[in-house]
Amino acid sequence: MDLDSPWDDTAAPSISRDIEWTKISNEFTNVGYREGITAGKESALQEGFDDGFAGVGVPLGREIGALRGRAAALLAFVQSPLCVVEGREALLAEARAIASALANVRFTDVVPRDLEAEAHAREHLADDEHGVDENEELKEKRKMEGLEDMLAQLTAGAPSAGMGDKPRPTMEDVRALEDRLKALSARLGLPVERS
Amino acid sequence: MSQDFDLETLVHLEQTLYDSGYQEGFAHGRIHGLIEGRALGREKGFELWEELAFYETFALTWKTIYTSLGREEDKTRKAHHIRHLLDLISQFPQVNPSASDSELDILKLSRQIQSRYRALCSTLGLKPSNIRASEADTLDAAQTNVEPVWKIENDQTMF
Repeated sequence: MDLDSPWDDTAAPSISRDIEWTKISNEFTNVGYREGITAGKESALQEGFDDGFAGVGVPLGREIGALRGRAAALLAFVQSPLCVVEGREALLAEARAIASALANVRFTDVVPRDLEAEAHAREHLADDEHGVDENEELKEKRKMEGLEDMLAQLTAGAPSAGMGDKPRPTMEDVRALEDRLKALSARLGLPVERS
Repeated sequence: MSQDFDLETLVHLEQTLYDSGYQEGFAHGRIHGLIEGRALGREKGFELWEELAFYETFALTWKTIYTSLGREEDKTRKAHHIRHLLDLISQFPQVNPSASDSELDILKLSRQIQSRYRALCSTLGLKPSNIRASEADTLDAAQTNVEPVWKIENDQTMF
């Protein structure tokens, strides 16, 4: 006997009614839930975007971009005839090393964790549901970065190889590069600018 | 128990169940919207300002270099490009401008910044580098006719 069927004649009338009631109420609630989740998501996307844009993306981008810009300018300066300091070759090598290490830093290496997103994803895993959605464009980008890593590993023996199987750079590495950049500026006789 | 009461309850039952599901779903959807929007906003803000800050400190560093060399070149083309480049970058918003207060043409400003950066590189005798993010945005916009503000698609309530 299938107790799940609301049309089971042999079931006690009260059980049948309960099952039917549950089925009907679930149906209406689920339709509402589905439409609510879509509306709720759309209502909050822009708010989330603006928050992430101004709160994390812009300041972090400014920080990394500023270091890269300074490294590029110093590298070009050391290469130019304008630079007449002693030990120029060593400074050139240092400028190249800093610029190259900074170029290797990715957004995902330095972005702080989104703890709320992680907590919510864990709730979904506990409920055995699908995980938190990821934007298609970001998904594609992560895929490309994965491919880049694989290529870097394949060419790890070549002199121009990137990271090989080394771990990805962290914010601590960026801070260390910033210090090296300041030291380079000082050795070139330039005042250290704002960070 | 009156017949009227029962009928009224039944009439509203469907709506009540729907509403309760909707509210629950809406709250859950908001969490997802905030998370997904935040992830995209972080990435886009980073892309845009990583490039702009690159130009900014590139220009500032060259300004410092010339100053420290005792070559105040205020009237040269280099100084002119540096000044204009820094001025253009200072106009670029660091928060997402809403449609109401956005008379700003972001794409136009991006293009002006990039061409000014190229001009500076040219006077310095250097090959421009790091032009990336906003150029891609320009292409996207040209291909899809998206409004030139940072807007998440498929939502008419935004901006």
